[in-house]
Amino acid sequence: MLEKVREKLMSIRFLRRILNWGRAWSLWSVHLETGCCGPEDMARACARYDTERFGTLPFPTLRECDLIFVTGFVTKKMAKRLKLVHEQMPSPKYIIALGNCAISGGLWWDSYNVVQGIDEVLPVDVYVPGCPPRPEAWIQAIRMLQEKIKKEGLDKK
Amino acid sequence: MKLSMGPQHPITGHFRFILDVDGDLVIKLDPDVGYTHRGIEKLAEKRTYPQNLPVIERTNSYCDSVGTMLGYLEAVEEVLGLEVPERGKYLRVIAAELNRIASHLYFLSLGAVATGFETMLMWTINDRELVLDLMERLSGQRITYTYPIMGGVRFDMPDGFKEEALKRLDYLGKRIEDYYTMAAKNHTFKMRMMKVGILKPSDAIRLGIVGPNLRASGVKADVRKDEPYEVYDRFDFMIPTGKNGDSYDRVGMRLKEIEQSISIVRQAVKDIPKGAFKKWAPYIVPKGEAYTRVESARGEFGYYLVGDGGIKPYRLKLSPPSFRNLIALPHLCRNVPLGDVPIIFITLDLIPMDVDR
Repeated sequence: MLEKVREKLMSIRFLRRILNWGRAWSLWSVHLETGCCGPEDMARACARYDTERFGTLPFPTLRECDLIFVTGFVTKKMAKRLKLVHEQMPSPKYIIALGNCAISGGLWWDSYNVVQGIDEVLPVDVYVPGCPPRPEAWIQAIRMLQEKIKKEGLDKK
Repeated sequence: MKLSMGPQHPITGHFRFILDVDGDLVIKLDPDVGYTHRGIEKLAEKRTYPQNLPVIERTNSYCDSVGTMLGYLEAVEEVLGLEVPERGKYLRVIAAELNRIASHLYFLSLGAVATGFETMLMWTINDRELVLDLMERLSGQRITYTYPIMGGVRFDMPDGFKEEALKRLDYLGKRIEDYYTMAAKNHTFKMRMMKVGILKPSDAIRLGIVGPNLRASGVKADVRKDEPYEVYDRFDFMIPTGKNGDSYDRVGMRLKEIEQSISIVRQAVKDIPKGAFKKWAPYIVPKGEAYTRVESARGEFGYYLVGDGGIKPYRLKLSPPSFRNLIALPHLCRNVPLGDVPIIFITLDLIPMDVDR
């Protein structure tokens, strides 16, 4: 019953737009570092690049987060934990893959312990190339994801 | 009770700790490493000597990439019997010391996170950006530079770099005083840091601790002074040492080291000689072996290189500082409150990628 009401409400374009707007501007990112882009994560969150302007706040608890930054390469051991973190997060959840290593293995293309592209494990929304990507590129990725979220559920009819 | 801490945790980074706790008291700590193991030593055998540069750099690409690469280059150049031009050596020293400043500022920001000191986090990261800007002028990248190459450095010092560097270093020097006032003399910060994780000098030597952590315990050991590489013997700087070896000393050690690094860069920028900054280096390295050590931001970094007369190394063994310092963590985290574990971990300045390679 509740599901039906919810679906009915969400089919109203105006309400859907408000919901999408809210989701797009409060993307809290979970604190999980997988590779070498970690310091840039700090740089983009702090004084100069300050992504909190766009509603992206690094947050310790994954239960209240909607965004994972896959920062760099993902080893086989870390991939299991990454999947676990992704499963534990509440829906809707989004993933931004940062760095060549997360996209296709990058520098570690022949390493025996690195996952060759994170899309083998998880669905990725935005890819950002670079080694490591500059904080400006992170901000662009966040903006692209926001544009994507704003269009969600509005393409029908 | 067993408790698992990490890898999804604001403090631990890529580590996981398995803690044996009794109430709030940590009885035993087991570090679970291997989350960032890429097999760098094996990959180095598959690639040629110049191709190895970015691979080695990413052992510790967090902040101290130049310091990490210098040792490898020293080893290759020792086997080759190659002498780097004077200007190249000076530029290497400038890059390495700027990198050390950036790395220590990053350490201070992590220390701020561990103590819940948000203002200091913003200050340190913002000041780190100033140093990264300088490095960007020099090499064209923010954190992974691949700036030193075989036989010198990649680019010459750009125009106006000297004035800009001196200006920014003056500003940083003033900021260090601010840090002393804000953090080191702050009552809350002192209470969180003092007498937490005391590492005695005898224990530090027995466990083989290196770098600022060893110096914080009062042992005077620095490769830059003991066995000068590049042109470190020409600069006038001192090795600061701590007294008690607690977390507070380890933080103060980094602040003092930033001051020394600023003085080294100032001297190097002022008396840098003119001339060539790089030299042609052959791709084929003759048969031979070399062991070199350098002082990276986290301590002594050892390299053992065996060449077999081809274009690829036969064996490259890395002995990173974080791997040596990791043993101090279970040693110090015995019978301490759970709240002290992040402080001890952060002040030891361990980098998981360094540990796993």
